[in-house]
Order: sequence, then C-alpha cells, then structure tokens
Amino acid sequence: MSGLKEKASELVDVALEEGAKDVAVEVFDTSIDQIRFSNSMIDISNHWSELHAHVFVAVAGRTMASGVRDLRKGAGTVRLIVKHARASPVNKDYGGIASGRFKYKRSQVDKRIQSLRNPAKFVLDAIDGAVSTGAPDVGGTFFVRNSKWGIASSKGAFAEDGNASMDLSVRAFTQPEASGQAVLVATNLDKMRARKTGVRAAELAVSAKNPVPGEEGRFDLVMEPFFLGGIVGATGGMASALAVELGMSMFTKKMGKRVASEAVTLVDDPMTRSMSRRMFDHEGKPARRNVVIEKGVLKTYLHNTSTAKRMKKKSTASTGPMVATQFSMPSEPMMFHPVLVGGDMKVDEMIADVRDGLYINNTWYTRFQNYSTGDFSTIPRDAVLRIRNGEIVGAVKNVRVSDNLMRFWKNMDALSKSNEEIYWWDEAAPPAHLPTARSRKMNITRSS
Amino acid sequence: MIDEDVAEYTLDRAAGKDSPVLTEVKLESTRKSQISIKSGEVHSVSSSTDSGMYVRVVMKTGIGFASANRISKQTGADLARRAVRLAKAGKRKERVRLSSEKASVADWSVSQRQKLADVSNDDRLSYLKSVDSEMMSSRVKVLGRFFEEADSETYGYFASSEGSRVRSMVPRLRMFCLNTVLSNGETEQSMREWGSTGGWERTAEWAAGAALAEEMVVLKELIEKGKSVKPGEYDLICGPEVAGIAAHESCGHPMEGDRILGREMSQAGKSFVKPKMLGDKIGSKHATVIDDPTVPGSYGYYKYDDEGVKAGPRFLYKKGVINEFLHNRETAGKLRLKSNASSRSSVYDKEPIVRMANTFVAPGNIGEDEMIRSVKNGVFMKSFTEWNIDDKRYNQKYTSREAYFVKNGKLAGPARGCVLEITTPRFWGSLDGVSKKVEFNAAECGKGDPMQGIAVFTGGPMLRLRGVHLK
Repeated sequence: MSGLKEKASELVDVALEEGAKDVAVEVFDTSIDQIRFSNSMIDISNHWSELHAHVFVAVAGRTMASGVRDLRKGAGTVRLIVKHARASPVNKDYGGIASGRFKYKRSQVDKRIQSLRNPAKFVLDAIDGAVSTGAPDVGGTFFVRNSKWGIASSKGAFAEDGNASMDLSVRAFTQPEASGQAVLVATNLDKMRARKTGVRAAELAVSAKNPVPGEEGRFDLVMEPFFLGGIVGATGGMASALAVELGMSMFTKKMGKRVASEAVTLVDDPMTRSMSRRMFDHEGKPARRNVVIEKGVLKTYLHNTSTAKRMKKKSTASTGPMVATQFSMPSEPMMFHPVLVGGDMKVDEMIADVRDGLYINNTWYTRFQNYSTGDFSTIPRDAVLRIRNGEIVGAVKNVRVSDNLMRFWKNMDALSKSNEEIYWWDEAAPPAHLPTARSRKMNITRSS
Repeated sequence: MIDEDVAEYTLDRAAGKDSPVLTEVKLESTRKSQISIKSGEVHSVSSSTDSGMYVRVVMKTGIGFASANRISKQTGADLARRAVRLAKAGKRKERVRLSSEKASVADWSVSQRQKLADVSNDDRLSYLKSVDSEMMSSRVKVLGRFFEEADSETYGYFASSEGSRVRSMVPRLRMFCLNTVLSNGETEQSMREWGSTGGWERTAEWAAGAALAEEMVVLKELIEKGKSVKPGEYDLICGPEVAGIAAHESCGHPMEGDRILGREMSQAGKSFVKPKMLGDKIGSKHATVIDDPTVPGSYGYYKYDDEGVKAGPRFLYKKGVINEFLHNRETAGKLRLKSNASSRSSVYDKEPIVRMANTFVAPGNIGEDEMIRSVKNGVFMKSFTEWNIDDKRYNQKYTSREAYFVKNGKLAGPARGCVLEITTPRFWGSLDGVSKKVEFNAAECGKGDPMQGIAVFTGGPMLRLRGVHLK
C-alpha cells in the first residue's frame, strides 16, 4: 500500500475533529517471510502480512495510545480512542510531542529484496556451507523483511519511510557441546552470502571441539561483534532517560563523567544503512546521530519530548513506538541503531596481546542483579576458546561472565578496525554495527 | 464476535489444495487495556482490540504458517493458498509425522465475578495507586515506583481438518512493578509480577500492596544489616519463588520436546536431556516437578491447547526420574508418543510451539518452620534477582533478593547477594526435603522466533538442599 502518510493524516484529522489537542498516527505496512530450520532441514516457513496503525492522542491533559489493527474501521476506532482518552486520568508526566516544520531525508531500498521469490535457496546454501565445512547439525532462521511506514501528527510531522532487509542466523554443531554461530544482515541482495555464513558458523564449531570445563578467575576477553550485540543492547537501554528516571540505569548521575575507557565511543545512528534504519522517530521528529558515550565520557541520555521536558533538555529524536511492544514501554526513548566506533587493531593482534584469556563467539541470558549498579552476568555460548600467551589453545565450556557492566566498559582497551551489522533473535538486539573488542580482567565463574 | 463460518470456509479452501496432512485455522479477537504509573502519577494509558487469524498447513514436505490481522473469508482463502505453498517449499527429506489424536469439540471459558470489560481506567488507576500507597506506608525511601496493570479478554475459535472445533474465552490480568530501595547511598531492587486468569476480583486476592510494603522494609534492612556469604558448603533452603524458577528453568525447559529434538537449536537452544533419557535418574526421590495447565485461576491456564488436545497435568520429573517430556503433535509424532497438550501460540500471528503452563515442584510433608529448624548452618534464599541458565539447561545461577543466614535452626540475620551457581543434576540431587505448602508466581516465559512471551506460573513449596556451594 502506498499513501501511508496520507492515511495517517486522515486519522489525525479525525482525532482533531473529535477535540484532541495532540495527535500522532503512524501507519505500518509490513510483509515478512521467515524460514526456520534445524537438524539441517527446513522446519517451517512463515509469512506475515499486516497493515495497521499506532494512534496517540492527548486531550485535556489526558493521553491514550492504541493500536488500530483494522484500518477499514480506522476513523471509528480513532473516535473511540479520543473518547477513551477523555475518560482517562490526567497524565502529569506528559510533555507534548515533537513540533516543527520538519524536513526529512529520503532513504532507498533494494527492490530486489522486495521481490525475492525463493528465500529457501539461501537457507539450503547456508546448510550446505556448514555441513561441507564439517558441522553436520545445522539450524537457524532466515528472514526477509519488507516494511513501509508513514507518520502524520498535529504538530507538523508528515513523512514516509521504508526498508527491505534480510537476516540470516546459522548455528552449527560438530559435537553435542561444540557449536558456532554466525549471523549476516543485508540490505543489499548482493551482500547476502548465505553459504559463507554457514561456513563461518561451522569453522567456529570445528574450533570449539572437545571443550573442557572452564576455570574460574579473572581473564581477558576478546569478544566477537555477536557477543557484544546483547551487551550493547543492555547498555543502550540504560541510556534511555526513562530508565534513568525509573532507577534502572547505571548512568544515573553520571552525565559528563567517565563511564567507559577512552577507547569507547558509542553512538546511536538511525540513519546509517541497516535493517533498523529510520529517518524519523515515532513522534515524527527527524532522526539524528546521537553520541551517547564519547571517548569514555557520558554525553547524553536519549529523550522523547516528555522526558526532555522533565529533565529540561531537548529531545534527541529517540521516541520509541507509541504503543507498548514486547520489549518497550509506550514511547520509551531508545537506541534505534547502536554503533560502537571501531579502533585500530586487527583481531589477531588483540589475541596476540592476551596472556590469559578467552575468545568468545556469542552470549545469551544477560541479566542484572541491580540495574542501578550494573552488576550482571551473561552466559557465553557457542565457541568459547582459551587463549594462553597470545595463542588459542583449545575450547572451554560451562563458564559465565559475572561482573559489572561499567567495569566491563572501563576495562575495554582494544577494538578492531572492522565492524559488521549484527542482529540475532532478541538477544543481540537492536541491530547494531559492532567491532570485535577486548576487555581486560573480567570475572569468570562456573557451576559447582 | 468471531465469525466462525470463516474457519469452515478456510478449511474447505485448503482441502482442495494438494491434500494437506492437516490444516488448522485459528480465529482470535482480543481486547486489551493497560495503564502505568510512575512515582504515583499516570505514565501511560493504552487500549486496543486486535482480531486476526492464522492458517497452519502440515504436508509431508513441511509446515506452512500464514497469518493476517483481519478475519474474513477472503483472508482465509488467501492464507490457505499461501500456507500450502510454504509447506510445499520446505522440501524436507524426512517427512513430518504428527501424533494421532482424537478430535475435540468443546466450548470453554474462564469465569469472571467482576468482568474486566466493565473495569474503567479510573478503577485501574485507583488500584495501582492503592498498591503504591500501601507500599509507601512502609516509610522506606523508594525510587522509581513503576506500576503497570494490563488485562485482556481473548476469544478464540480453533478448527482443524480432522474435526476439532474448540471455542474459548480467556480473561487474563497482570500487575508488574519495579522498585528501588535507597539507604545509606546504596540500592536494592525489586521486580515483581502478579497474574491470574479470571476477573478483576483477582487483584484483591494478590494482596500486592501488603507484600510490597513488607519487602521494602526487608530490602532496607538488607542494605543496612546484610552480610555477604563466605563462599563454601552450606545447606540451602529455597523459598517457593526460588523453587519455582528452578522448576521452570532446569526442569520445564529441558523437558520441552522441541528442544530435545533440536527444533529450537539456534535460538533458545537444545537440551541436556536426550530422548533415550526417559526413565533416567535426575535427582533425589523428593524431586517431583509437575506442569499443569488446569490449575484453576492460574496465569498459564488453558483447557485445550492450540492443536485442540485436552490438557491435564504432566509429571516431568517424578521422584527424581525423567518421566515425561512436554509434547505437541509434531514432537510426539517424531518419538511415536502422544501429545500432552503443550502446544501454545501467544497470539494469532505466531506459530504454536511446545510451551510450559504452570510448572511447580510437588509438595512434601515437612512444615515450613520445621524445615528452618532442621538446618544447622545454612542460608534461606527466599527470593531471587539475577538468574540465568545456559542453553542446554545445565548450568544455572540464582542470586538472592531476600535471604537469611540460618544458624542452629534459627534465622540469623539477612544475607546479601548470596549466589547459587549449580548444575541441574546437582540441584535436584541435593534435594532432601520439601515443605507442604505450594505457592505460585506469575511470569512471562520467552521462547520461539519471533519471540513469543507467554503467561505461566512458576511455583513450589520450600526446598531443602544439603551441602551445596554458595558464594
């Protein structure tokens, strides 16, 4: 469907006619194909096709956000939303939506992805790549995502955007406890190298063969971009001004202070070409590049209009979806596309300079004992390789990183020049451009 | 209301297309309301109605699933056509085998004394403010104070080409809160959730305000008086909350048939449990863990699963033995067993997969006080904060929120940040006593790709573990 911003604008008008003061409507048109595979076979092919809207209204100090799932009944539903808003309690937290005469950049998509007809081919290539590299047991997911969205608001937003991307995740096993995992995200059909992704996962699985129980103690960690995906996601979540207000951030009262080593610069760059690229936030404010941590120093929290007003700052155009998702509160400020700026080292150099450490492929289940202090643990998975005196000497298993997140960033002393876009499931999320990095003397624990 | 004729029409349309082994159609309509407050003031309000349908087609070559956020005959026909095409594209060498199950014709619902549809946003706000106010009567300094109430009523209609016709209505509600206690410049955090199926009357049964008021005092004391545990061997008493998370993570998940067979291998992972391990010893004779979707009023309640199979209790670990996996028709068929009704889809646009419902440790015969008295040198871990487990469900960690030292049969002051990091066989093998009273906690369990958060209870009585390593 085209004309999404026009449809959004029609619904804005309906809400205004009903007496709403502020209105923002976002209309989404998505088509997603997914193939899931395991045991080196395709299990299921899924298809989702949706046209729906998010509507936010404010009337007489009261607010209401709602999903409009059936746009055929859009006008009637919007009238009902305004009615419900009037009947709702006053929202003193509300500080308005973005207002202005906005100019938007245009984005382009690879139309070949939109018209892709045989996604199973990529999956079979990935499986073949892994199996032929020595990993007989292969699983994963392959997504082809096509989406368009248009926004209109009562305060000047009127824009349309879209994206087309593919993301492939491959996990390969050489033994029951020896696996490797690799992902590839592409917004250009020519860059979808499915077989190579399968080969990479299998190479890691081969290197992870015959793992022995890991030791407890302090070790230097050399971490693939995949590992960093979840850690950067958690860190980005704490940069949200809402997280700070809720006591769910280690960045509280740290503005302008050192929160990481000088090697670390963390940016939210929604406009970089990626699977999460967007040209405006969910209030319709044009997207911008936000430097959150610069050379180790905290430079800004991420704001929507309301959090900015409460903290006497300006919005950073970081408003998340106006309707709650599985992983976000309504309009929660968020990172759209984190970029951890690369350094000047090669991965081999980073390993060569480690006397006693681990090279880690992936992690999952990152959980916090206390968000305000950053005490956490995470469980390395897939290839976890032992480094001794600058060389990889074997594989280990059953270890956990149990430390503090700010210490993790402060102990980061090296980042690779190269980076890649990472996204996997809801662990390495949101999609991010990340290098390989090294943190010194991190605490490793294991089960008794 | 749902137009059930759409399901019949869709089944007819799928029937003529390449003779699927099975076609399933699910129609679903959900009304949702949500309100949250932060530091005592409204933070967000939302409401929505969502209707949609899916078609799942099983063919020898694979499984196809297609969904749309609308319900109509035209939509059904389109989805049927697409699902058949996707099922054919699977090109599986090994054919999909489903367990043979009796078709169900049923109409079930959960009753409500105070219907959720009749609750106003003012009622919801009053409830949250009353919980916040009762918590703050503790006079402890609390930061953040985020409370969210969400409720829904879901109407469903399931129809299969084998003759199943299941109509359902499930009202479900939950309250979630985040609180940070500050004292002496240090913090302790609490994330709590209450959930049920039923009507608004459930909120009173939760007694959340009183529980939170007590907890804020406990966390303040923990900051001011808590001491670290000196690493070493101790007897450990786990409260029902810790017993519940262990039941869920180190019994429920590894006993999911799809994990055991590898179907979740690239996301949630596999399992240390293998098909041939049915009947193997996993713990002491006290280790009996049940998953039962039919616990009345439970957050994970259902009577028929999303393949139309009638639900009942599943004894996963029984007296320390691996007894029964959680199965849908696909995993049961592969192992030539029967489904035990574990197929759940979180919403109409997600594939039904193997899920837990209400997983808990079976009660024993020791009194709660008696259990404390039975420990000479140990720790009572009443609740937890940070937890995680590896993707084969073998190595787990639970860090205490509320915990106490136990000396000579008596509580001897708060223990702060006590960590149990232990393997699954060691956890269940160290269990030498179970108390009488089972308590439940509501939680959202995550699994699948795309992620499906689904309502569950975790629960248990108090557990006594002898000689485990704490740090």
